[in-house]
Amino acid sequence: MIGGELIIDNVSKDFDSVRVLRNANLKIKPGEFFSLLGPSGCGKTTLLRIIAGFEYPTEGAVYLDGKNIINKSPNNRHVNTVFQNYALFPHLSVFENVAFSMRLKKESNEKIRKKVTEYLALVKLEEHVKKMPSQLSGGQKQRVAIARALINEPSVLLLDEPLSALDAKLRQQLLIELDAIHDEIGITFIYVTHDQQEALSVSDRIAVMDRAEILQVGTPFEIYENPANLFIANFIGETNNIKGTVKNVDDDIITIETDSFGDFKIFKDKEVSIGDTVKVTIRPEKIRISRERPTDTDLPINVLTGRIDELIYSGFQTKYYVTLDVNGVTFKVFKQHIKYFMDDTPFSWKENVLIWWYAKDSFLIEVK
Amino acid sequence: MKKNYGQIYTLPLTLWLTVFFTIPILIIVAISFFKKGLYGGVEFKLSLDAYKALFNPLFLKTLTSTLFISVITTIFTIIFAIPSAYYIARSKKKDFWIFLIIIPFWTNFLIRIYAWIAILGNNGLVNNILIKLGVIENYVQFLYNQWSVITVLTYVSLPFAILPLYSTIEKFDFSLLEAARDLGASKAQSIYKVLLPNIKSGITTAILFTFIPTFGNYAVPQIIGGKDSVMVGTIIARELTVMRNWPLASSISVALTIMTTIGVLLFSNFNKSKTEELRELKRGIK
Repeated sequence: MIGGELIIDNVSKDFDSVRVLRNANLKIKPGEFFSLLGPSGCGKTTLLRIIAGFEYPTEGAVYLDGKNIINKSPNNRHVNTVFQNYALFPHLSVFENVAFSMRLKKESNEKIRKKVTEYLALVKLEEHVKKMPSQLSGGQKQRVAIARALINEPSVLLLDEPLSALDAKLRQQLLIELDAIHDEIGITFIYVTHDQQEALSVSDRIAVMDRAEILQVGTPFEIYENPANLFIANFIGETNNIKGTVKNVDDDIITIETDSFGDFKIFKDKEVSIGDTVKVTIRPEKIRISRERPTDTDLPINVLTGRIDELIYSGFQTKYYVTLDVNGVTFKVFKQHIKYFMDDTPFSWKENVLIWWYAKDSFLIEVK
Repeated sequence: MKKNYGQIYTLPLTLWLTVFFTIPILIIVAISFFKKGLYGGVEFKLSLDAYKALFNPLFLKTLTSTLFISVITTIFTIIFAIPSAYYIARSKKKDFWIFLIIIPFWTNFLIRIYAWIAILGNNGLVNNILIKLGVIENYVQFLYNQWSVITVLTYVSLPFAILPLYSTIEKFDFSLLEAARDLGASKAQSIYKVLLPNIKSGITTAILFTFIPTFGNYAVPQIIGGKDSVMVGTIIARELTVMRNWPLASSISVALTIMTTIGVLLFSNFNKSKTEELRELKRGIK
């Protein structure tokens, strides 16, 4: 199958004069696994429903393979949806749920049997064909919903928070399967989620949305490592935010002065001038924690002293909340446990420590 | 020792139903097997005269006409009730609409039927409006025929059909309709293939709540009906009060009760077996 190219052209949507989607512009490539990521109420589901045909945009157009589809009814779009609550037909068996769209097209029984079997095999549900939806577990229901949507061979598959009702382990497993299905059939997937881990792990590209607007479109790497603003930096993963004033600008290093803990250095990835107010973010896993100053590096680093206020051990890593000696600012520091018992002596609660990071690991987010 | 409290709790109801429901029915059954008294009442002599009279062609004709009126009324009622119930279930002002449907119960049943004379009568609302608009020149006789009886019976039955349908549709997951549309169903197909099968229990209840009272109705054909719309209920009342033939009134009642019971049993069995059959069919495909 060949995926469709989807262009969202300046789409806006009002509900009772409240703008729930503002000037959305997107170009989704054929075969792409594209995610719409944002907190609830950000307009991502509305955008998906506009693509599916359940909502009509107040302004703008949606092009599927070059044709504007906003005036087509949902049954005439080459797009299918996997719904959040599965929306399986309770009066039909698993087989008939998957066969639903083929029955509407009045296909022959033989053809239906063959194709339904094929798609149930794709989602690993061959053994459950005769069951009714009420006899299935949540994960199985979602697989039926996926098979039912795919059997129509849409050029775009829309997934509306398909895993949100499942428990964490199952979610992870289905996500991997979903990715495998995407690789196998190659159609365009548009995946709506509020879970940044889900979006990061499977998407080719992500559009981050908040308050009816698309804030940034990029690969998971770009979104995580180079967020466009403070909202995205905080929404995608955890981070430490620092506010300060530019004190000095070198060739590639900026010195920033803070009210709370003095000066620190940062790699210059945006143009700034002395006196600008800036916001900087540094991911917790990029901050190191130690007892002595690092001596084995020539690169510019920032070193601060503090005390471990909180310590959360979670197996593969430990989260430290380190409060600085001056002014009581708290930094989040995540230490990965790469070597079992081979790390230095474990840090303990209330211990005084050094935290440090490379200047190039933190980045400028907002310049005013 | 575990006591069976269930029987104690239902004792008042059991007593009530025994005294006011079971015993009267047994009396009716008994009367139907006695001889007609000269001035009403019965002579306590066993006789099958009352049942022989049932095979009178005139009575059979009435029975057919009653059946016809009841079936048409049920069809009309369901056709009107499903969209209304659907609308109410999806409306934001559910309480308001339910309230409107319940209001008529505050008025006496007979008065509501007489109101239809004011609407459909020769000098009634509809005729006056049509004459004013110039659609007709002289009044049209709307009342005293089969169709006026069907109209009023439909009106009387509507709340009893809308309420059970509403309670079923309210539990229906409307996103299923979107899923159907998404999978290629037209609006009509999504209603026919997804909504109706999922509200079947409500439709069954609505049909029973409409058909049974209509089949035995007597006031509406009496007041609104004419020669062509005599119903079994009318005959029972006439035999009892005018002709003073208690055994015949009773035998008709017994026949009516048996027919209704058989009908209900067949209907609910048919509904059940059809679902089973469909499941079997689906298994067969694989």
